[in-house]
Amino acid sequence: MELLKVEGLSKSYPAFTLKNVSFSLKEGRIMGFIGKNGAGKSTTLKSMLGMVHPDSGAISMFGRDFREEEGYCKQNMGIVLGGIDFYMKKKLKVITGVTKKFYPGWDEGNYEKYMRIFELDENKRVEELSAGMRVKYLLALALSHHARLLVLDEPTSGLDPVSRDELLTIFEKLVKDGKRSILFSTHITSDLEKCADDITYIKDGEIVKCSGKKEFLDSFQSLREPDEKELSLEEIMVKMERKNYDEEFAL
Amino acid sequence: MMKSLLYKEFRLVAHPMLYITLAFGAMFLIPAYPFYVIFFYGCLGLFFCFINGRENKDTFFTATLPIKKRDVVKARCLFAAAAQTAQILLSIPFIFVRQAVGMGANDAGIEANPAFFGFVFIMFAIFNAVFFISFFKTAFKAGKAFLMAIVPLCIFVAAAETAIHVPGLDTWLDTSAPEMMVRQIPVLIFGMLVYAGGMLLTYRCAAGRFEAVDL
Repeated sequence: MELLKVEGLSKSYPAFTLKNVSFSLKEGRIMGFIGKNGAGKSTTLKSMLGMVHPDSGAISMFGRDFREEEGYCKQNMGIVLGGIDFYMKKKLKVITGVTKKFYPGWDEGNYEKYMRIFELDENKRVEELSAGMRVKYLLALALSHHARLLVLDEPTSGLDPVSRDELLTIFEKLVKDGKRSILFSTHITSDLEKCADDITYIKDGEIVKCSGKKEFLDSFQSLREPDEKELSLEEIMVKMERKNYDEEFAL
Repeated sequence: MMKSLLYKEFRLVAHPMLYITLAFGAMFLIPAYPFYVIFFYGCLGLFFCFINGRENKDTFFTATLPIKKRDVVKARCLFAAAAQTAQILLSIPFIFVRQAVGMGANDAGIEANPAFFGFVFIMFAIFNAVFFISFFKTAFKAGKAFLMAIVPLCIFVAAAETAIHVPGLDTWLDTSAPEMMVRQIPVLIFGMLVYAGGMLLTYRCAAGRFEAVDL
């Protein structure tokens, strides 16, 4: 079953255009959404979530139209947007107390379990948590209302390598039962080498490729120079982006 | 869901200044004072809450909750209505104290009577309409919205204070005589209707504007 389907999402700004973005995510998969800074990753995610009004396109989650059933869709998903910097002075228990009122299916036992696993103290204030701990806290909130789809915008940005690795291991464990899926945007391609099943690559507001990781890697090997070994994700992205850069200089 | 949204507003968005302004009804014990100012402070308290929400990125937090985008505006409207109604209700006991201790007439403006509260409801309706609709055009320019809102508020207060000096209106509206206060009740009801209707229109207009904002 497809947990998420994005079809023909477009949005025009004076200096940037998101063009006909389409991709889908099946149950039990981790999808990495990659692209350089400013490629349109956050705009796509925000358009998906109704925070930005797309000019056209359709979003469905769990087989339902997002715009028609926004409340249902959000009940079943967890959202982590960029750096978590809201209500920095509030204690976690206050934010949890507010959040859980919005979820009839809130599972206090699950919440306590994940707070324990992630070694989070709910008497701490948000500002006292490291960047990695903040992502873990939001994951704990999402998992406590049994979110089946986790949408995370650059959750690993600003994390040290150990915290990043830890978070990616958590992602893998979360999708293991085949019921949940994770879509996370990143520009750190090594994250995807470790845990992604599918990769969607966006460049200048357009989807270049969306497929399973192996197929994705294979399809870009034509960029390889004769003396080069198999290209990694990072090398593919650099070659793809550098190509235009060189063209611009040539002009 | 509305109960949860209101809980969120009071638990996260409400600034301590709002609670302080709720107690400003005690200023009815000042012998001579322009009483509209008491409720202007209530508007100021609300402005502090908007700033607090903005600085804490409340919009982004709320966007992750399982609600519709326009519910963000609905929550704030309900929050404002709850705060403003509470400020009015909490101020009334101080008027009875003022009467009980025989402080006499207010030489600095209108008397604290039913007509005055009718005007206060209209004052709040005017403030809310301009402030909310202006703020939710961007969801961050709270200062500009507040400045824009206090201009019509001040004009209305000046007009209301002037009106009570018009012969005929003065003996009807600017008195605490019990038999005249009964005759002021239609002004109070009119004010409450303007407030309720205004709040509904304000919500619809502000929500429409907020829907178009790209966060």
